[in-house]
Amino acid sequence: MRTGWIRDCSRVGVALIAVFAGASIHAAKPSPPFIVDPYPSTYRSLPRTDTLIVDVTILDGAGARIDRGEILLRDGRIAAVGRGLPRDNATVVQGKGRWVTPGIIDVHSHNGTYVLPLTSMDRKASDVSETSDPNVADTWIEHAVNPQDPAFAVALRSGVTTLQILPGSTPLFSGRSVVVKPVPATNVRAMKFPGAVQGLKMSCGENAKSYFGDKDQAPNSRQGEIAIVREAFLRAQEYRDEWRAYSNGKGKQPPKRDLKLDTLAAVLDGDIPVHMHCYRASDMTAMLGVAEEFGFKIAAFHHATEAYKIPAQLKQAGTCIAVWSDWWGFKMELLDAIRDNAAMADAAGVCTMMHSDSPIVGQRLQIEAAKAAGAGRRAGLDLPPEHVIKWVTSTPAKLLRLGDRIGTLAPGFNADLVLWSGDPFSIYTKPDRVFIDGAVVYDSAEPARSPESDFGLGRPEMGGRP
Amino acid sequence: MRLQTFAAALFLIGTSAHAQNVAIVNAKAWTLTGDAAIENATIVITDGKISSVDASAAPPAGVRVIDAGGKPVTPGLMHPATRLGLIEVSSATETVDHAAKAGAPGAGFDVQFAVNANSVLIDLARADGVTRALAYPSSSNTAPFAGSASLLHLFEGGDVVEQARVAVFVTISNRSANSTVGSRSAQWQLLRAALDTAKTPSTPGAARTADSIALESIVQGKAPLAISTNRESDLRQAIKLANDYGIRVVIVGGAEAWRVADQLAVAKIALILEPMSNLPASFDELGSRLDNAALLRKAGLTVAMSLDGVQSYNAGLSIREGAGLAVANGLSYIDGLRSIMSAPAEIWGVADRFGTLEPARDGDVVIWDGDPREPSSAPTTVLIQGREVSLTTHQTELRDRYMPAIKSLRP
Repeated sequence: MRTGWIRDCSRVGVALIAVFAGASIHAAKPSPPFIVDPYPSTYRSLPRTDTLIVDVTILDGAGARIDRGEILLRDGRIAAVGRGLPRDNATVVQGKGRWVTPGIIDVHSHNGTYVLPLTSMDRKASDVSETSDPNVADTWIEHAVNPQDPAFAVALRSGVTTLQILPGSTPLFSGRSVVVKPVPATNVRAMKFPGAVQGLKMSCGENAKSYFGDKDQAPNSRQGEIAIVREAFLRAQEYRDEWRAYSNGKGKQPPKRDLKLDTLAAVLDGDIPVHMHCYRASDMTAMLGVAEEFGFKIAAFHHATEAYKIPAQLKQAGTCIAVWSDWWGFKMELLDAIRDNAAMADAAGVCTMMHSDSPIVGQRLQIEAAKAAGAGRRAGLDLPPEHVIKWVTSTPAKLLRLGDRIGTLAPGFNADLVLWSGDPFSIYTKPDRVFIDGAVVYDSAEPARSPESDFGLGRPEMGGRP
Repeated sequence: MRLQTFAAALFLIGTSAHAQNVAIVNAKAWTLTGDAAIENATIVITDGKISSVDASAAPPAGVRVIDAGGKPVTPGLMHPATRLGLIEVSSATETVDHAAKAGAPGAGFDVQFAVNANSVLIDLARADGVTRALAYPSSSNTAPFAGSASLLHLFEGGDVVEQARVAVFVTISNRSANSTVGSRSAQWQLLRAALDTAKTPSTPGAARTADSIALESIVQGKAPLAISTNRESDLRQAIKLANDYGIRVVIVGGAEAWRVADQLAVAKIALILEPMSNLPASFDELGSRLDNAALLRKAGLTVAMSLDGVQSYNAGLSIREGAGLAVANGLSYIDGLRSIMSAPAEIWGVADRFGTLEPARDGDVVIWDGDPREPSSAPTTVLIQGREVSLTTHQTELRDRYMPAIKSLRP
C-alpha cells in the first residue's frame, strides 16, 4: 500500500507544491508573506481503479436527484453522472437501489487536537487552542494535529471525506485552521487538502471573557472583547499598508514580520476566511459591524444558534452559518437555540450548513441535517432530500473555497463520495463504501482493512469495533 | 391528526375523570408485550389507565377519540438516568443541583428535594415523548457515593417526583480516582466497607443517618445499587460485589460490558448504556463500540439507553437517536423500542405500571409522525395518564415569534 501511495502521485498535489515553492518570500519580486505556506501538503491519493457505480439513487449535492442513476469515476475524478454511461474498463459496482452522495464535509472539527483517550495532560493543557493570550492568531492548528487520534478513522468510516480542523474558541483570535482528508497518515502534511486555504477561527461571547476574566486578564466583558478585536485590526491595517508600500518598491527593508499580523492582514485582504464562533444574535450583529468597519467578510458564524433571529443581516453580509441541529441550553448564550434554526435560516436564503464540533456528532452530520430538516418540515417548510444534502456537501465545500473541487457530483470534481446502504437521512443507514479521489478508503465488506489508529494496535478490546 | 368526540361533547368538559378517558383508534400499536406491532389497533384509556388494546375494536361510547391515522403509537419514553429537574443550564450554577459537596450526605444525598418541575428542559422532554425519567445525582466528594435517585413522572404543572430513593448511585472511574480518594481500589474498598457496615445489625439506640438508611436499603434488597462505571476490570468487580453481598446491581455506562456479557447475564445485571459511544474517550472506555447493546441483548441482558449529563437538555430525542443507532448496529427493531420504554421501567421496578401498552398500565402514550427510532420523527400527541399534554415549549414559542420574518424573506 505504501509504494502505491508514492507511485500514484496526484497531479494536483505536485502542481501546488510548485506554486507554494514559487511563493517564497525570497522570490525576486517582494510580495506580502501573509499566506505563504512553508508546510505544503504531501498528500497522495490511495491506489484507485476506474469505477462505475450503477443502479443508485444519486443526490448530487448541488440540488439534483437522479433515481436509478449511474456515476463514473476515472483517474480520481468524476467523469460522468447520469444513466446509460459507457462501461469502458471500469470496475462496475452494483448499487442495488442504494444511495450515493458526495463525501460528507465537516467544517468544524477538533480531531487530532483533543486526542482520545483524554488524559490529565489534556485537562491541564490540551492542544485545542493556545490559551496564553486572547490573540493567538499566530498559531497554526496543523502544528498540533496528531493523525493517530482514533476519531479520524471513525470519521472516515462514517463517510466524512474532508474536515476543517479549527482551533478552539477560548481566545478571541484562536489561530489558523487546516483542511484535511481523514486518511491514515503519520503526519498532518500527508492529510492536508492540497491547495486548500486556511481559515482564521475567531470567537465572541462567553468563552473568552469568562476564561481570561477568571485569570484577571482582559477581556472580562463583551465590550472588552470587541475593543481587543478592533485594536488588532487597526494594527493589521498599518501592517498591511507597510507591506504594500514595500511591495510597491517604497523602502529597501521589508517590514518586520509579525505572525499575528500576517494572519489578520490576510483576513483584511480576503485571503483567509473568518470562521467566527458566536451564539447570540446580538453578538453576531456586533461582529458583523466590526467586519464592515474594517472591510472584511465573516465567512461563517459557527454554532449561530440565534441565526433565525437575524436572517436579513446575515443575508446582506453574505455570511454563512454552520450549526448543530439540536444542541442547546448548556450555556446562557445557547438558551434560545431551536431545532428549526437551520431550516428557518435556509428558508430565508441564508447560506446554511451543519457542523459537528464533536467526533461523535461528526460521524453523522447527515443525521444532523435530517433532524434539522424534520423540524423545518413540521414548521411547514419544504425541504426535499436533494436540497438538504447540500447542508453537508456543496455548501460546506463553498465555505472552504473548494466548491469547484468537492461537495458536488459532477464531471471534473474530485471523486469523493459515499455509497450508502440506504437513504442517508435514516439512522439505520451506514456507509458501504467511501471514496476519496476515486480510491476506496473504506469498504464495509472488508472490515479487516478498515482504517484504525496506531493507538488501537495490541489492544484487543479496541479491535474491529463499529 | 383528526380529533373526534363521540356522544355529547359537553360530557367531556371540566370533568377530570372523563378527561382521562380516551380511545386512540387506527393505531400502529407497539405494545412491547410482543415483538410485532398491532395494526389498526384501538387503545382505550379509562381513568388514566390503559384498559384495552385490541385490533379493529370500536371505541367505547362517550370517550374522546383520537385518530392516530395509522401512525406508530408507543408507551411514553423513559429516560433511565438523567439530570432532568436537577440541571437547567449546566454552566449557570444557579440552576444546577445535581451534586452534593463535602460534608453533605453521600449515599443518602437525596435529589428529590431539588427537582424543579418548571425547568424548560422538562417541557421539552415531555413534548419529545418522555413521560417518565430517573433523575440521579452526580459523583460527590464522598467517593464513591453520588447519592439517591428519584423517579419522575412528568405531569404538567405539578409535582413530578413520583418516588424518591429509587436507587443509590456510585461512580467508579479513573477520573474520580484521580480527583478524590485515589486508586479505584480505594473506591471499591470504601464501597465494600460501607456495605459491610450496613449489613451489621445496628446497636439499639444508635443514630441512623441518611447514609446508613440508603445503604441498608441496598443490602436489604429494597433498592438497587447503580454503579456508573465502564472499564472491564470494574465491571468484573461489580459482578463480584453483586455476588458477595447478594444485592441488585445496575450498571450505568458499561462501555466495555460486551467483554463480560456472559458473566453479567449469569449475575442478571441490567445495563444502562451510552448508545453513541464508539470512541475511546478515556482509558476506561477503550472498548466502546456501537454494537455493545446488540451483543448484550444477545446474551440475554436487559439493556436501556441513556445519554448522560448535559444531554438531559435533549432527554427524549437523544435516547431515540441512540436506540436507532443501536438498531443500525445489530439490535432488533423491537429491542430498540424496549431500550427506551419498557427496559428502563423494568430496571427501576415500575414495569407494573409503565413501559408497555397493556391493561393496568398508566395511560402514558405517544403518537408519532413516523418511526420513533428515527431522530427526524417527532410526537404528534403525548398523553400522560390519559391527559393530552401541551407540546408548546420555549423553542416552539421562539420559532413562532420569528417565523413570520423568515417567511417574508423567502427567496
